[in-house]
Amino acid sequence: MRARTGNLTRRDFLRGMTGAAVAAAFGLPLAGERRKGGKRATVVLVRDEHAVDEQGRVSAPVVRRMLDDAVAALVGEKDMVGAWSRLVRRDDLVGIKTNVWANLHTPAEVESALRGRVIGAGVPAERVLIDDSGAMRTLAHCTALINVRPVRTHHWAGIGGCIKNYATFVPDPSVYHPDSCADLAAIWSLPTVKRKTRLNVLVALTPQFWGRGPHYFDPRYVWPYKGIMVSFDPVAVDAVGAHLVRTKRVLYFGEDKPITPTKHIAVAETKYGLGVADLSRIELIRLGWKKDALI
Amino acid sequence: MAGEGCGRWKIVREMVAVLLILLVAVVSSSGAEMQRLVPREVAGWKASGEDRTFDRKTVFDYLDGGAEVYLAYDFRRLLTRHFVKPGQGRVIADVFDMGSSKDAFGIFSFEREGKDVGIGRDSEYAAGLLRFWKGTYFVAVTAERETPSSRSVAISLGRAIAAAISASGERPDLLAALPGSNLMPLSVRYFHQASSLDYHYFVADQNILNLSKRTEAVIARYAVKGGKPCVLLLVRYPNAAAARGALRKFVAAYMPEAGSKGITRTENGRWTAARCKRRVVVAVFDSPAERGARSLLDAAVARLQRRIQ
Repeated sequence: MRARTGNLTRRDFLRGMTGAAVAAAFGLPLAGERRKGGKRATVVLVRDEHAVDEQGRVSAPVVRRMLDDAVAALVGEKDMVGAWSRLVRRDDLVGIKTNVWANLHTPAEVESALRGRVIGAGVPAERVLIDDSGAMRTLAHCTALINVRPVRTHHWAGIGGCIKNYATFVPDPSVYHPDSCADLAAIWSLPTVKRKTRLNVLVALTPQFWGRGPHYFDPRYVWPYKGIMVSFDPVAVDAVGAHLVRTKRVLYFGEDKPITPTKHIAVAETKYGLGVADLSRIELIRLGWKKDALI
Repeated sequence: MAGEGCGRWKIVREMVAVLLILLVAVVSSSGAEMQRLVPREVAGWKASGEDRTFDRKTVFDYLDGGAEVYLAYDFRRLLTRHFVKPGQGRVIADVFDMGSSKDAFGIFSFEREGKDVGIGRDSEYAAGLLRFWKGTYFVAVTAERETPSSRSVAISLGRAIAAAISASGERPDLLAALPGSNLMPLSVRYFHQASSLDYHYFVADQNILNLSKRTEAVIARYAVKGGKPCVLLLVRYPNAAAARGALRKFVAAYMPEAGSKGITRTENGRWTAARCKRRVVVAVFDSPAERGARSLLDAAVARLQRRIQ
């Protein structure tokens, strides 16, 4: 009963009286009409049924084409040199912040496609760096960042997405763990990353919707969604990613399994103003394969 | 005087040195004890590389994303040993010293979802992952690639580790307060902190039940004919005053209209009820009927009176 205490309780959700951003935080996307007012964001989702084969191998040419289509739609420029020239300058030092988590890492084919397009826009190859765990050391001096990682459920944050991907820019990420990692977006205000991110890429080729075990990975709970999302807004792309994995989880189990609320996504908007967490204020542009799109 | 001072400092330094040596010896023997629990070879799978150990500060280096779950319990130390067999991938044994058998059970219960496979006190196996607990230890054996051979070695390794753990360990006594009728056994979770409750059953974004490392909590689901299960939560506090205070806070935050009745119908048409018995708060959520909520609450309180201090 929020009005009396300031707390947000389960009953608030049951009553359907919560704000949209908060609903997103708890993996409860609002259905129905688009809300008026407030900042808006765009997320492009592209899918291709040939992106991943039955053995889980990623097709480099298909992924490259998917990224091109998505970036073209997001930037509004079909020519890739032109589109990427709007994202990076020739004199930029570009860091591709990837994710090397052993169980579900950013595919090399995605990294390669991004690197190729950055170089194609005129940035010298030696000025394009790729790193994850060493980001604080190797990417801190970059003038432009491309943020790319797979989407997965996460024990403590609810999901691992683009906001969380910058955790390796700080010496002790565990400092951001309290309260379901609510303040992860604070990292985005640090000088090493602030206003440097030119593109967020949330890889949903084989997303993980549930996990088990010490490393929170179970091969039964990834599925070949064969999608990639791109956005200028890390909060918006994470909100859509969280919506996707929750939708899959409900479909798979027949109910929503308990999982930590994705509070950090809502807090990224309400406290840090990093982007848009409210699904009703996010325009989702869908491209390509439509089967089992879920969202 | 200066000479006396130097002499005293020398004695203090020597005592500190001895204490440090003793401390290191204790810690080392703890690590050695854990190493002793895990065999170096099972069915042709051999230990590979150096063992690695982690404590509460360093466990983040190993459990990327999962460490907080263990830190919400009294986790002390983790030993990990890898096993390989040519052409078969890796099998990893992770042994967690959880400080007490209660917390060893607790971390096991945190994500239990399968049938017991007869290893340790409670166990389960699925998709290349064996989990069990015994004594103060929780053990996970993970096959990176599940094959008949890796499954077999995971089970064999688990049995060998369980056999090496001498103490059996007791489940938390608070479990005895769970009424048996309609209880869904795999849904029983034991934990301490609000973050764990959030994970299992979100109640509020604030800690309205005053959960902490000093509280013990059990949550379980109860089957409801023709409907979704209802939920029973028990929280034991350090003393009765703390329990009463937590109940007041919970009622004020979650069901203020219930007042002293301690029961209300929530917005989904189901019933929530809460009561305090000695130093335990008992709450029922999502009962389809008022009578059912009261009945489950009464049954839990009765068991508390009979079986729990």
